Amino acid sequence: MLQLNNLHAAVDGKAILNGLTLSVNAGEVHAIMGPNGAGKSTLAYVLGGRPGYEVLAGSATLDGHDLLALEPHERAAAGLFLGFQYPVEIPGVSNVQFLRTAVNAQRRGRGEAEMSAGDFLKAAKAQGEALGFSMDMLKRPVNVGFSGGEKKRNEMVQMALIGPRLAILDETDSGLDIDALRVVGDGITRIMRRPDKSVVIITHYQRLLDIVRPDFVHVLSAGRIVRSGSAELAHELEREGYVGVAQEERAA
Amino acid sequence: MLLELPSVRQEAWRWSDTSALPGHAQATPTGEIPAALPWLIGDGPRLLFVDGVFDAVRSAPGDIAVGAVSADAGDHALGRLAGKTGWRLRLGRAHAAPGLVQIVHITTGGADHLAAEIELGEDAQASVVETFIGDGWTNRLTAIRLAKSARLMLARRLLGASGYVSVTDRAEIGEGASLTIASLAAGDCDSRLDGHITLAGEGAFAEADGALLARGAARHDANLVLRHAAPNGTSRQTWRSVADDRATCAVAARVEVARAAQKTDGEQSLKGLLLARTATINAKPELEIFADDVKCAHGATVGELDRGALYYFATRGVPPGEARALLTQAFVADAIDRIGDEAARDAFRANVAEWFSKAPPKTEKG
Repeated sequence: MLQLNNLHAAVDGKAILNGLTLSVNAGEVHAIMGPNGAGKSTLAYVLGGRPGYEVLAGSATLDGHDLLALEPHERAAAGLFLGFQYPVEIPGVSNVQFLRTAVNAQRRGRGEAEMSAGDFLKAAKAQGEALGFSMDMLKRPVNVGFSGGEKKRNEMVQMALIGPRLAILDETDSGLDIDALRVVGDGITRIMRRPDKSVVIITHYQRLLDIVRPDFVHVLSAGRIVRSGSAELAHELEREGYVGVAQEERAA
Repeated sequence: MLLELPSVRQEAWRWSDTSALPGHAQATPTGEIPAALPWLIGDGPRLLFVDGVFDAVRSAPGDIAVGAVSADAGDHALGRLAGKTGWRLRLGRAHAAPGLVQIVHITTGGADHLAAEIELGEDAQASVVETFIGDGWTNRLTAIRLAKSARLMLARRLLGASGYVSVTDRAEIGEGASLTIASLAAGDCDSRLDGHITLAGEGAFAEADGALLARGAARHDANLVLRHAAPNGTSRQTWRSVADDRATCAVAARVEVARAAQKTDGEQSLKGLLLARTATINAKPELEIFADDVKCAHGATVGELDRGALYYFATRGVPPGEARALLTQAFVADAIDRIGDEAARDAFRANVAEWFSKAPPKTEKG
């Protein structure tokens, strides 16, 4: 599904990704772990096409689409969902309006009919309830005044309604208490654990991985994957730290 | 008619461009009335003016009279051109206008001038929506007098395809009375809005809000003076300007607090949004306070759309043009959401959305 080959990328002229290669197949959940500055968030933003992130070399394809040739909204239409570490606040635009615009933009892109206001509200309400996100919250402006946990649950509601092929979740577990972690983790499993979908979880800690259970864990260091293994690798990292496990010099 | 137009050398006119007005004044109107007129839902009085002439056949004026009016433009150069005839809404004590009053002005290529008078007796209430469409120069003067505890909501939308709309208001608000004027420019005409509002009675309330949308080479210029002449008055001004391409929006809003107007509560918020670096937004907040026990807040900002928000939209699959439109609509909503009449508020929101959907295609920059 996702093929990254020898990806090099820079931010503000500084090389952050240095030849990253990764292959994610349909039905798989991958976790990418690594120390601060390793390039984890950069990887997410490069794939999401954030302005200011410059790809110097390499390739990235999703279901055969050349991601790097697409505009950010076209990448979403191709099936990519980016979960933000810090979801953006948008005063004046309600969650319902934001989500309905997004869902219908993607449906139009696929040549499908737009969802009616009634059908959309029904779907949003059902997904919201499953994630402890009330109708009242759905009517409020996007993420404005939300706690960290509420913002991350909102990301999951968006993911559920948009229904992507591939989700790249950038530190979705940061800022969550134990209960919220459980809700979000179960949400990821329920929404994305399917034979035709894949997930890449970017995280510092193994605690979200205890809930979501990845098939593969990769260690990112200095902009490259230096080690890959099973879910057990996350526990090893937790015990021994990145330095011992990565056996590569740490990023500055 | 010999036109005496203000000079841009005058401070109050420095951001206006009246150079096209003589041309409009000499042009011949076509008199063509569009098949669909912009009436809102509701069975209140309806008045249609075509090139400044009352169209009795297409109108149902109810309580509103057409003829001589008493409206003094003071020294306002364009207001003085408006003349002494037009429409008149006079409601006696405790009367309420039957439903939303709707007035549509169509100018079909020339220039027309018209005055109006709204006089509400004690405890009387009215809501009026004026819609301006067409091409050419539409010039209006409205005199407003509110007696004790009267309430008037006046909402105007400028939807003209080209030309110039000038609207001059002179209002006097009595004790405990309330005036709200909301303006929306969401066409492709130029405009000049002038409001001279006096809170004459104790505890009066005045609100003047506006949303100005400009693109191409359009130019909107709003000038407001809210004068607190009596104690315990409250005034609110919320203006949102949006300028794209080489367009210009200017809002000059002054709050004057006379020595006698103790306990005045004034708030003013002037915000501008530049959709292109080649556009211009001018905001000129002014406070002139002679009383010593008052609360007056003001703020003026000009900025661009939040790139983080635009990117967030994009990652959810929303194309840049649609994201820009939604974020801009959210920006101007502050000024429009204050309209009390629901039908009018919904219509104004729809006009904003329509303005974006009719925008000429643009190449989006990444």
